[in-house]
Amino acid sequence: MDLPGPFPVGRYARKLEEEMKKRARVQLMGEVTGVGRSKKQAFFELRDREGAVPCTMWLDDFERSKLPEGALRDGVELVVAGGPDYYRGGSQASPSFSFRATHMRLAGEGDLLAQLEALRKQLQREGLFELQKQLRRPRLPKTIGVVTAETGAARRDLLAGLARRGWAGTVVWGFAPVQDRRAAPAIAAAIQDLAARPEVEAIVVTRGGGSLADLWAFCDETLCRTVALLRVPVISAVGHERDSTLIDDVAAVACSTPTHAAEAAVPLDCLAARRDLQRAAAALRRSGEGAVEARARHLGALARGPARALQRQRSHLNQKIREIRAASERGLTERTGFQRRIATVVLGRARQRGVERAAAGRAEERRRVAAIERSAERNLQRRSQALERIALTLRAHDPERTLERGYALAESSAGEPVTTAEAARSLDEMRLRFADGQISVTPARGGRGSE
Amino acid sequence: MSANEGEQSTRAEPDSYESAVERLEEIIDRLDSGQAGLRETLELCREGRELVNYCAAELDAVGEGLKELKLDELAAKLDSQAA
Repeated sequence: MDLPGPFPVGRYARKLEEEMKKRARVQLMGEVTGVGRSKKQAFFELRDREGAVPCTMWLDDFERSKLPEGALRDGVELVVAGGPDYYRGGSQASPSFSFRATHMRLAGEGDLLAQLEALRKQLQREGLFELQKQLRRPRLPKTIGVVTAETGAARRDLLAGLARRGWAGTVVWGFAPVQDRRAAPAIAAAIQDLAARPEVEAIVVTRGGGSLADLWAFCDETLCRTVALLRVPVISAVGHERDSTLIDDVAAVACSTPTHAAEAAVPLDCLAARRDLQRAAAALRRSGEGAVEARARHLGALARGPARALQRQRSHLNQKIREIRAASERGLTERTGFQRRIATVVLGRARQRGVERAAAGRAEERRRVAAIERSAERNLQRRSQALERIALTLRAHDPERTLERGYALAESSAGEPVTTAEAARSLDEMRLRFADGQISVTPARGGRGSE
Repeated sequence: MSANEGEQSTRAEPDSYESAVERLEEIIDRLDSGQAGLRETLELCREGRELVNYCAAELDAVGEGLKELKLDELAAKLDSQAA
C-alpha cells in the first residue's frame, strides 16, 4: 500500500469530527420515522422516497424549537436545520454519524407545495395528466371499486351518494391506510388489484379532508404514476374542495367530496333514467299504435271515399246547375232588356229612316207622276198631231174623196174591185159605185175598147 | 345463437347502456318527426322496444340491492374457486 499512515484511529476520528463540523449548515425536509429519546437528546430518521438521514437533537435545542406537544412522531413531515456530525465514541461508547439538528419545525404548506409543484410539472411534462381523461367512463357501471379507509366518513358518504342515484350494483372495497408513510404504497397496491378485476368498471379513491401534510400520501409520485397508467378510469375525491393533491391531476375525474365521487362513478341517475325509459316506452307505444290507427282511419276514409266523392261531385254539379240557371236567367233578363233597348233604338231609327224614306219616296213619286204626266201629255200631243197628219194623209187618199171628184169604182157583185177591162168582160154583171150611190151594169162582150 | 334469438332480431345487442339510449333517442326523434312510413315506423317501434327492454334489464341489474365485497375476500373466493 502506497498510502499515507498508518495513523492512530483516535486521532483520525477526532480529525473526522472536526471536518464534519466544518460542513455547511443546511435545512432538510422529510418524513419522521423511528422517533426515540435518551436522557440528553432526541433521535429519529428523516426520509423520503430517495433516502434517509439519521438525525439527533439535543433536548435543549428541541425545547427551544417549541413544537406542539406530541408533534415529533412517525409520519410527520419536518424541516430541520443543522449539519453533519460525527461522534468519535469513547473507550466504552460506539462511534456514530448523524445530522445534528439545532432547529426544527413542522413542514409548512409552503414547503410541501413547492415540492408538489415541482413534481406536478414533471408529471405534466410527461403527459401523465391526460391519459386517464381519455378513457371512456361507462354511464351505468355494474361494479365499481373503492379505495378508502375502512372506517371513516368517506365510505359512508360515498354509499349515501350511490343510494341517492338509485344505484345498487356491486362495490368492491380496497381498504387501505390513507395517512402515513405506508399509505401511498398500500393505496397503489389496492388500486392495481381492483384494476386487475375485469368486472370493475371504475375505481374511486377517497378520503376526508385534512392538511396537505395529512393528504401527502396522495401526492406520492409512485402512486400518481400508477394511477396515470391504469386502463380503468379512476375518480379521486381526496380532502375537501380547497385541497388539491397530485392524484387529482392524474385521475380521470377529480371530485371535491365522496358524494360527488359517487355521481362521477355512476354518471347516470338511475331513478331519472327509469322515468325516462318509461316515457320512451310510452312514446314508442303511442307512435306504433298511432301509426296503425291513423292509417286504418285513412283506409276507412278511402273505403268510404267513392260514395262520398260521388255525393260531393253531385252536390258540386247541382250547385253548378243552380248557378248556371241563375246566371242564364239573369243573362236572359239582361239580354232581353238590352235587346229591347236596342230594338227600341233600332226601330226608332228605322221608323225615322222609313218616315224619311217615305217622305222622300212620295216626293220622288210626285216628281215621277208629274214627269209621267208631263211625258204623257207631250206624247199625247205628239200622237194627236201625228194622227192629225195621218188623218189628213188618209183623207187625201180616201177613194170616197176620189169618187167625189167624179171617179167611179168598179166592183163585182161580191164587192171585189174590178181593175181591168178583161176582168169586166168576164163578168155577167157588175156594179159601178159613185159618190152618191151605185148602179148595176152589164158589160158588152166582144168589143175592145170603148164599150 | 338460439332460434328464438334469431327470430327476435337480426340486430346486434347494444354494446352499452349509453349507446342503447342514444339509439333510442334517435328512434324517438325520427318517429316524432312524422316522416317515417308505416313499415319504418313499425320497424323502429320494434327496435325501440328491444332497446327499452335492454335498458330496463341494465337498470334492474343495478337496482336489486347493493352488494359489497372486499378485495381480500374476493381474492380468497377466487382462490377457493380455482382450487
